Amino acid sequence: MSAVPLYVGIDAGSSATKCVVLAADGTIVGHGVVSSGFDYAEAADAALTLALGGTGLDRGDVACCVSTGYGRKNVRGAQRHVTEISCHARGARAWYPEVRGIVDIGGQDTKVIWIDARGELVDYRMNSKCAAGTGTFLESVAVRLGVPLSAIDALAMTSTAHSVLNSYCTVFTGTEVIERIKSGEPRQDISMGLFRSIAARVFEMCAARDGPIAATGGVVAHCRAMLRALEEIFGAPPLLPPWPQQAGAYGAALLAREVDPHDLDERPRSAQSEVSA
Amino acid sequence: MSHAVPRVEIRAAQQLKSLMRDYFLDLDAAACDADRRVAWCTSVGPCEILVAFGFATYFPENHGALLGAKRLSHQLIPYAVSAGYCAESCSYMNSDIGAALRGVSPLQDAYGIAGPPRPDLLVYSTNQCREVQDWWNFFGRRHDAPVLGICPPTHLGEITPAHVRFVRGELQALIERIEAHFGEKLDRDRLAEVVARSSAASTLWRRVLDTARARPAPISFWDGLIHMAPVILMRGSPAAVAYYETLLAEMQQRVRDRVGAVPHERFRVYWEGMPVWPRLRDLSDKCLELGVAVAASTYCNSWAFEDYSGGDPLEWMARASIAIFINRDEPTKQAFLLEMVRRFDLDGLIFHNARTCPNNTNSRFGMTQRLREDHGLAVLSVDGDLSDQRFFSTAQTMTNLEAFVEQLEVRRRPASSAVSQEVAG
Ligand code: SF4
Repeated sequence: MSAVPLYVGIDAGSSATKCVVLAADGTIVGHGVVSSGFDYAEAADAALTLALGGTGLDRGDVACCVSTGYGRKNVRGAQRHVTEISCHARGARAWYPEVRGIVDIGGQDTKVIWIDARGELVDYRMNSKCAAGTGTFLESVAVRLGVPLSAIDALAMTSTAHSVLNSYCTVFTGTEVIERIKSGEPRQDISMGLFRSIAARVFEMCAARDGPIAATGGVVAHCRAMLRALEEIFGAPPLLPPWPQQAGAYGAALLAREVDPHDLDERPRSAQSEVSA
Repeated sequence: MSHAVPRVEIRAAQQLKSLMRDYFLDLDAAACDADRRVAWCTSVGPCEILVAFGFATYFPENHGALLGAKRLSHQLIPYAVSAGYCAESCSYMNSDIGAALRGVSPLQDAYGIAGPPRPDLLVYSTNQCREVQDWWNFFGRRHDAPVLGICPPTHLGEITPAHVRFVRGELQALIERIEAHFGEKLDRDRLAEVVARSSAASTLWRRVLDTARARPAPISFWDGLIHMAPVILMRGSPAAVAYYETLLAEMQQRVRDRVGAVPHERFRVYWEGMPVWPRLRDLSDKCLELGVAVAASTYCNSWAFEDYSGGDPLEWMARASIAIFINRDEPTKQAFLLEMVRRFDLDGLIFHNARTCPNNTNSRFGMTQRLREDHGLAVLSVDGDLSDQRFFSTAQTMTNLEAFVEQLEVRRRPASSAVSQEVAG
């Protein structure tokens, strides 16, 4: 079967912009992640270029593009904008039909999404205003630990103690980290404690629901310690998609495949079907 | 791209503007007139007694809301906090105290008056929260004016005759204290007249809100927030009754003409909790864009009291003051919400978790979960605040609202067309 027409999903997140390109039959033919920087439109273009690179295909083959994420309305050429909540649910479920909960730990926000057996959204939560429990939180506390962000995961994985950081807010956690360093606690234990505190925030957002959980987002994609902490608190390892960071973009691309071209002339029925300028 | 759909404005709004102007100018005149007295009262407090005594009545919560709507609260709250009030206490209170400390008031620009009228008396009821007591005490000290109040039993399930008797006794004691302080007897016949007018305005207001049972709803929560002003500020006055007669007639006509508050109404939802005053426009525009009519709310219904059909006016006041939603227990509140969902044929509920008003926030003790799980309802909870915009994330809330509509769309589809399973690549 020919790859074209192509269907594109772009997840313009606050830290990273992700792109997934699907062939007409729904197989992933390309994907890419770039830093969002300050211009979502440019980042989206760059992510698409990256995703198409090496496929021998080009933008002219794109039949439909759906954008999602914080900067979804800035993505040029997107026929529809759909929230990251619906897209993550869609992407994760396509990888794991049995999934009920999706835990997405991103740069600026953390989401927990629950769907039923039909894939219908049942409940969803986003972290409230504070950064605690997000990638940004990890970044700011890494500075306190004096460890580069890229090294914090490997360090945490060497910990054998059951250390948990207790503060709710980013600033207080920073202070707690300094106190613990001063009291001689090994940095690897503090690092693992940090991931556990994120997992605890996520767990609180889950509202005592049951069912298989998939973990997505940049923090999950890059940190095994995050998965370890999630496994500890949920009592089972979370399902880990092949490209956890691209779950939202994948969901958006799947939705792009369903867009009825005739619908595009219709003025919006909703956010889900909002036609961008 | 936003798709502005033209809305038909509510004509009575013009009349409301002049009514509000008259009200504030009269309050200002009363404060400057040695022969008149001003009383401050809580929004669901015993204002009929004050009106019957002849006080011009002023409601500080309205000022708190105005400060929020004008996006001044977050600049003023720090002054209250530095005066010893916790930053997470009621942001109406904190912004009002901060405004007084800074000499700021939206009434200056709106009506050309210096600000809130100086009180001769401050009266509260803790049927809504205990915060009002301390808020009133701040201004009592500042203006050297007496602060009197009633503390009815709270969080009630069934309302018993003993409850009503107790509150009636409190109201009677309040009257006696006012009489003693000002050396003036309350005219009981006048009280009955005021109560009758208060009840009439409240009944008309409820009928206005009930017109939103029609599809499309002729009035939404966002309109209600503007048009509810007389039922609070002018309770007991003939002007309030006349205003709601006009508004009701207009709403009934809109129902006949099928004019909706949201022209292309697709979904009908409930708003539970306080408004987000600094972001009303953003939220109402988003609802308009999404085709969502907020057809019913707890907040607008807070002033829809029971009818008064003669008899002891104090008993009516006692009952009204404890029967309000905010003063009820969790099961009663939940039953009320379920009934509203049924009566207004709603697709879902939005709960506002207002950071500084736990009293008027009902998503903190598992209710959203129970409504979802036990009753299969679509429920969204948004974090924010009534006046302090620092507790509100516009981007996150808008995403939440859009996702809620996506959820409602999927729920509306027939089961067979629910999300099909995908083949992973
Ligand atoms: S009910 Fe809430 S908003 Fe109203 S005065 Fe009390 S604390 Fe403030």
